[in-house]
Amino acid sequence: MVIDLDKCTGCGACMTACQVENNIAPMVDASNKMRTLSWMLVFELSNKKSGAEAEVAYLPRPCMQCGNPACVPVCPVIATEKNEEGGIVSQVYPRCIGCRYCMAACPYHARYFNWEDPIFPKGMEKALSPSTSARPRGVVEKCNFCHTRFMQAKDKARQDGGNPEGLADGAYMPACAEICPTGAISFGDVKNKEHKVFDLAQGKDAFRLLEKLGLNPQVYYVSKREWVRKLGDNYAATGKPGAAKKHS
Amino acid sequence: MGLDRRGFVKIVVGGVAGTLFTPVIWQSLDDVSIWSQNWPWIPRLNKGEVKAKAALSKLCPAGCAVKVKTVGGLPFAVVGNTANPMSKGGVCPVCAAGAQLMYSPARVKSPLKKVGEGKFEAIKWEDAEALLVEKLTALKGQNGKIAAINGDETGSAGEVISGLLAGLGNSGYYMMPGEKFVAEKGVKLMGGSGQPGFDIAGADLVLMIGADALDSWGTTVANQKAFAATRPTGAAATAKFVYAGPVLNHSAAVSDKFLPVPPQATAAFALGLANLLINAGAVSSASDFAEYKALAAKYTVEEVEKATGLKAESMKALVDLIKAAKSPVVIAGASFGQGAGALDFVAGASLNVLLGRVGSGMTLLPAAPKAVAGATSSDKDAASFLAEVATGKAAPGALIVYEANPAYALPQADDMAKTLGNIAFKVSFSTYMDETAALCDLILPAPHPYERFDDALNPYGVAKPTYLAGKPVVKKPVQDCKDPVDVLLGAASKLGLSLGFDTYADVIQAKAKALGADFDALAAGGIWTGEAKGGSLNLGASALAKVAVAKTDDKTLAVAPVSNQANGSATLATPPANLLTVRETELSGKDLIVQMNAATAKKAGVAEGNKVKLSAGKGELKARVHLNEGVAPGTVAVLLGFGRSAWDEFTKGKGDNVYKILTVSDEAGTGLKVWAGSTVTVAKV
Repeated sequence: MVIDLDKCTGCGACMTACQVENNIAPMVDASNKMRTLSWMLVFELSNKKSGAEAEVAYLPRPCMQCGNPACVPVCPVIATEKNEEGGIVSQVYPRCIGCRYCMAACPYHARYFNWEDPIFPKGMEKALSPSTSARPRGVVEKCNFCHTRFMQAKDKARQDGGNPEGLADGAYMPACAEICPTGAISFGDVKNKEHKVFDLAQGKDAFRLLEKLGLNPQVYYVSKREWVRKLGDNYAATGKPGAAKKHS
Repeated sequence: MGLDRRGFVKIVVGGVAGTLFTPVIWQSLDDVSIWSQNWPWIPRLNKGEVKAKAALSKLCPAGCAVKVKTVGGLPFAVVGNTANPMSKGGVCPVCAAGAQLMYSPARVKSPLKKVGEGKFEAIKWEDAEALLVEKLTALKGQNGKIAAINGDETGSAGEVISGLLAGLGNSGYYMMPGEKFVAEKGVKLMGGSGQPGFDIAGADLVLMIGADALDSWGTTVANQKAFAATRPTGAAATAKFVYAGPVLNHSAAVSDKFLPVPPQATAAFALGLANLLINAGAVSSASDFAEYKALAAKYTVEEVEKATGLKAESMKALVDLIKAAKSPVVIAGASFGQGAGALDFVAGASLNVLLGRVGSGMTLLPAAPKAVAGATSSDKDAASFLAEVATGKAAPGALIVYEANPAYALPQADDMAKTLGNIAFKVSFSTYMDETAALCDLILPAPHPYERFDDALNPYGVAKPTYLAGKPVVKKPVQDCKDPVDVLLGAASKLGLSLGFDTYADVIQAKAKALGADFDALAAGGIWTGEAKGGSLNLGASALAKVAVAKTDDKTLAVAPVSNQANGSATLATPPANLLTVRETELSGKDLIVQMNAATAKKAGVAEGNKVKLSAGKGELKARVHLNEGVAPGTVAVLLGFGRSAWDEFTKGKGDNVYKILTVSDEAGTGLKVWAGSTVTVAKV
């Protein structure tokens, strides 16, 4: 996934689409951010200047689907795994015992704990998406790049006589990328040269969050604004822009 | 034989080994972990074929052309319609939550009759319709006794409502305030006629003055798509965007430049820019150019700095950008889509005239044919009408409210609600139990957009005549509701009037035919577009001579209401699925958070986190302070959409309503009521 921060208006459509796709029950007090479930969360960044010099940028943060995830080795019950299933870090809800070690390990705060059972207003359960089961109280959950869509895209490729392991660019698209009205979120296989994101991820303005940690996040950000790139910690390794941009 | 030590160890070891090798224990553990999460109260998913049906989602003011995904016939998600040129696959955050809103706890479930203060009883549709007809019959033929407020700017429903009123001998048809109404007045002041449009897609420089075009002004998703087309990720941008307004909002966040301009000084800013452009050689063949030039000359960089706080360099840099552009367009409006004066519009639009962009960047749309023969247009907005009711100049005995929430979304909202409450009979056609419905004597539930026929003609901002139409996605509405237009057409028939149609679907089909559009193609997700009309405009110099910059001092601050589309609109409280998008810097528990820059806070004697009271007129608003350097000097930014007193547990009682502290004033020379430059006093509590 490559997110162009210079195109994100912070409208929140991605957050809503994510909540709808993944059957996250609405919370009465959503201002209590310690209890909310935001698989996709749009942060507001500021350059801390004032007047005509002031700038803000909005940073959508899904799970980074790290190549070397911090959350996986700490899970005592193997409820979260990194495998070749699209490089997605899985989360097996029935296996999760709710110890939250993974939440403590994730530096991106991309994991959330269900403090309550999912309670939908009466009747709203009829509008549940068929993609994702509702999770009970006591388990951890997170963005999985709309994994059901990945499986559906592979099924379609099989039906159409194509190659399910080499999906065409655009054949698989998470809900957030699909709905974004400014097209700020590009999605594809970052290892596939035929996919648009392959080049975008290597662009001179591309960076990843907290690269110095070596987790190899699979979400790339793009911004022409230097102060935005600096906030992403791209400079940490060498002190120079453009450092640490290897695919793996 | 006894059990010796060796035998005991064998049994234990054998037992442990056997336990490890048998699948029973592991299977049991697995089952326990699954079944301990498999409680009957955890909702199950719906099964069935997944389909996507085209729909016109009029949950946001402009309306999104979307596809509604259904499973087994039940809507569950909304995706963009890539085939529709307006939305091009994009969806706004409100329409993204559209399927869930069908089951909102705030929906009106059946016709309701008021039986006491805040108490309603469910009644049958026959009884509800009979009551409506009875009240209208009693007042038929008495001009001024029946009025209607319409909150739907684009639908043909307005034709039916105004046609019905005209048939009943009444002329009291009023629209809720919006940009379109003011802009058309502005065009008249510039010697033209018609609804103005703006070609963002064809511009290489878009200057937004006040208008939050990339979040809540005009056809938001189309604007965002036009913006996105100029910004291919990883490549050079092909157009510049500049936002000049009171708050570093969503449009400003992605613009190349943000210029903080207090809400009361946008006209002065535009005229200051005109002065610099004329000094740089800009000329116009408009008949009033000499007058305009002399007027603009008064807005020197020093004067503009005094009014806005902007330094000369910022203004000059903007002039350089405009000069370098081949196809610039200027869009002027209020930062929250209403309350600006016609002069604010004229000041911005005059720049398009000066730059020779009328007919290309800024267009004029021709009058559209009407489907309902007796339909009229509104010459006054609902705020002006209710001000007359409050002073006794107007005395309606019955009020029809269609898709509008005047009790919440008009300046000095508490007074407006009180005035509304004093009207003898009020009927609200509303999908949700909003603040206005809660005041009404009769509530007639309207279907959700995915349960009804509806249309949208020329949503404000489009550069060409544009028409969209939709039909129901589901076979049966979730609640016991009827299409309001069908109800009104039925009432008209019982009152002995013929508006020429039996149902709203017939009206829309006739409208499509009158425009030369194919209804079936529109309902399948298509679009009809026509051509903008020709014609020129003058610079509006004589009207602009009356521009006045309201003064603020250390004790009063200008209010800049901020509209984030995700938080809903006047007619829609924040959808439950959108509550997550509300930031910690906007709402904390039940406290609304208002924003101002550090210098302004210091002058007002408040600091980060302080509880404050903002007062203006009879209205008061309580909030906490958050410091934000993206707010113009002398300005307090307040987010719209909170302080609901009706709706549901997700929104009721959260934050406070900024409309309570907006004050109305008369715009010099135009007679319009304006409230975009309202000021408030701030006190720590």
